[in-house]
Amino acid sequence: MRRASLQRSTPFRLALTFGCLVLIAFLVAGGIAYRMLDRGLARQLDASVNETYSVVASTYAQNDVEDLTAAVNTYSSLHSADRSLFALQDPSGKSLAGNFAPPALADGLSTIDPMKLGIDDNSLYRVRAGTVGGNRLVVGQSFADVERLSTIQLMSFLWAATFVVVAAIGGGAFLAIRAQSRLDAVAGTMFDVSNGQLDRRIPLTGNGDDIDVVSGQINQALDRLAALVEGMRQVSADIAHELKTPLNRLKMTLDEAVDRDERGEDVSQLLSDANSESDQINGTFDALLRISQIEAGARKARFRANDLKAIVALLGEIYVDVAGDMGHSLEISPFGDMQATVMGDQELLTQMFANLVENAIRHCPRGSAIRVELARQGGAIVFTVCDNGPGIPAEERDNVFRRLYRLDKSRTTSGSGLGLSLVRAVADLHSAEIFLEDNHPGVRISVAIPAYG
Amino acid sequence: MRILLIEDDQKTAEYISRGFAEAGHVCEVVRDGRDGLFQLTREPYDVAIVDRMLPGLDGLSLVKALRAARVSTPALFLTSIGGVDDRVDGLEAGGDDYLVKPFAFSELAARVNALARRPPVQEHQTMLKVADLELDLVRRQVTRAGQAIDLQPREFTLLEVLMRGEGRVLTRTMLLERVWDFHFDPKTSVVETHISRLRAKIDRPFGTQLLYTVRNTGYSLHAPR
Repeated sequence: MRRASLQRSTPFRLALTFGCLVLIAFLVAGGIAYRMLDRGLARQLDASVNETYSVVASTYAQNDVEDLTAAVNTYSSLHSADRSLFALQDPSGKSLAGNFAPPALADGLSTIDPMKLGIDDNSLYRVRAGTVGGNRLVVGQSFADVERLSTIQLMSFLWAATFVVVAAIGGGAFLAIRAQSRLDAVAGTMFDVSNGQLDRRIPLTGNGDDIDVVSGQINQALDRLAALVEGMRQVSADIAHELKTPLNRLKMTLDEAVDRDERGEDVSQLLSDANSESDQINGTFDALLRISQIEAGARKARFRANDLKAIVALLGEIYVDVAGDMGHSLEISPFGDMQATVMGDQELLTQMFANLVENAIRHCPRGSAIRVELARQGGAIVFTVCDNGPGIPAEERDNVFRRLYRLDKSRTTSGSGLGLSLVRAVADLHSAEIFLEDNHPGVRISVAIPAYG
Repeated sequence: MRILLIEDDQKTAEYISRGFAEAGHVCEVVRDGRDGLFQLTREPYDVAIVDRMLPGLDGLSLVKALRAARVSTPALFLTSIGGVDDRVDGLEAGGDDYLVKPFAFSELAARVNALARRPPVQEHQTMLKVADLELDLVRRQVTRAGQAIDLQPREFTLLEVLMRGEGRVLTRTMLLERVWDFHFDPKTSVVETHISRLRAKIDRPFGTQLLYTVRNTGYSLHAPR
């Protein structure tokens, strides 16, 4: 069995594609969140630096640098632990207070490298420089807090990403394997079927999903296929068996004719026997051909509206006398003026009805009563033939529609065993239903054809 | 009678042409559809017997082409395609009759005779007459020796078909097709029953037989010979 490689299997591809999409979406969303947080923290830092600067600067009174110097000293001692910078220089550049020596800085906010300040630190600093009463005041805060929060966010994002990737791959693989195993079951079944195991069917999970629906349909198709193949096998076997007998008889008759001819005796009777034997073989073949052509359904193109009353009346005209000559009574129940139009093929409908009437005439012992009825039942026109003859045993009723099948007791009467198969073929072509029932005594066989109009 | 047989199977062709030769007819055999069409358009024949499956040009197209060329030689399809639709196709293509293989030579001969001597259209004929038996198509009445005979509608049709084919053999299948429109072989003695009923009405009371059984072939209605 040829299996699709894993990379080419549809569930695997779907899982892979879906996993990649989830991952990309997560990365983009995470990137955006990271950037927004970073920016927010930076703004917060700026605000904090500005605030500290304002508070310190506000301690400066008119021409009195003492308070400011004291405030800077207080702040720098208070905040030395949390990496804040303070510096105050007089207009000449001399340091008045603070915990670092600021380089030359433009007024306002700026970011500086701690290396330039001679501070041993990895983080950058945000500083604000300005002039208060001619003195230069510089206030700064480290980015360390911002960086710490960023790192926490990045780490949690990475952990989440790892989990998402694992879940996407694992879940995808799980789903892919499950879907793949069901597709493999379908492929395996089809492989077995194509290798001749026509009884294999795709297992259904019963949850009604799409694979189940498709599998169900495949199973139905397989049922029909198996039935057709079985029918064909049956027919071939039946044909071989059924034709073997007349062919053997034909050969024996001809052998005997050759023998007698050599002895100089008259062979005309034997030749005539051989002739009728071959006629019977031909008849069987013709009937089989006709049935298979009807079953092929091409005839549907010629369907017309047909009044069954006319066909039944014709059959009555024909068969009342025929039945009478064979010692039966044939009665056509009056059907009055009812609507009995069906879409169909007049020739085939006539043959189907004639076959049913002839079956009753031929298989009933002399003196039987046969009745033909035509009635409308719901949306169907029902043609019925009933007799009070020997009937058909209940267990044989399905078999009689099989090709070449004959009840043991009718082996002695003539016929190919194809009459009812033809009836069924014609009925199927017309979407009609056949009912075979016990008439207590006898047979009651009806054909219900969908009414037209 | 001059017959053209277009048939590619040599054995069948020999069987048929020998049969017609023995009956005193001229039967020419052509084995290719195109040659057959050529012959039919060039020479006058009484009947053409055409196989459906032929090399060169199939039988159906041959007859269609023949009718398109306004050649009205009666054509009988002889074929192993015994399908239910094929007969209709053949007749629609312009064929006059259709016979499915395998067939009895007597059946073929009867049909060819019926085709060849099919009288020119006689639409205005209202009265058929064989010896003292008369059939009035307008009033739908039958009399023999001046005595009215009461017939069922289908018996009337049966008698009409037999009288129109006066002196010719009408086979069982021909009667089934023409009288009852049955295109299958009934398993009961439909034809025999109705012939015997008809006989009881038109022959038996009058002493002289007009309706004859032709052994293994069919029936024929004609004046005593």
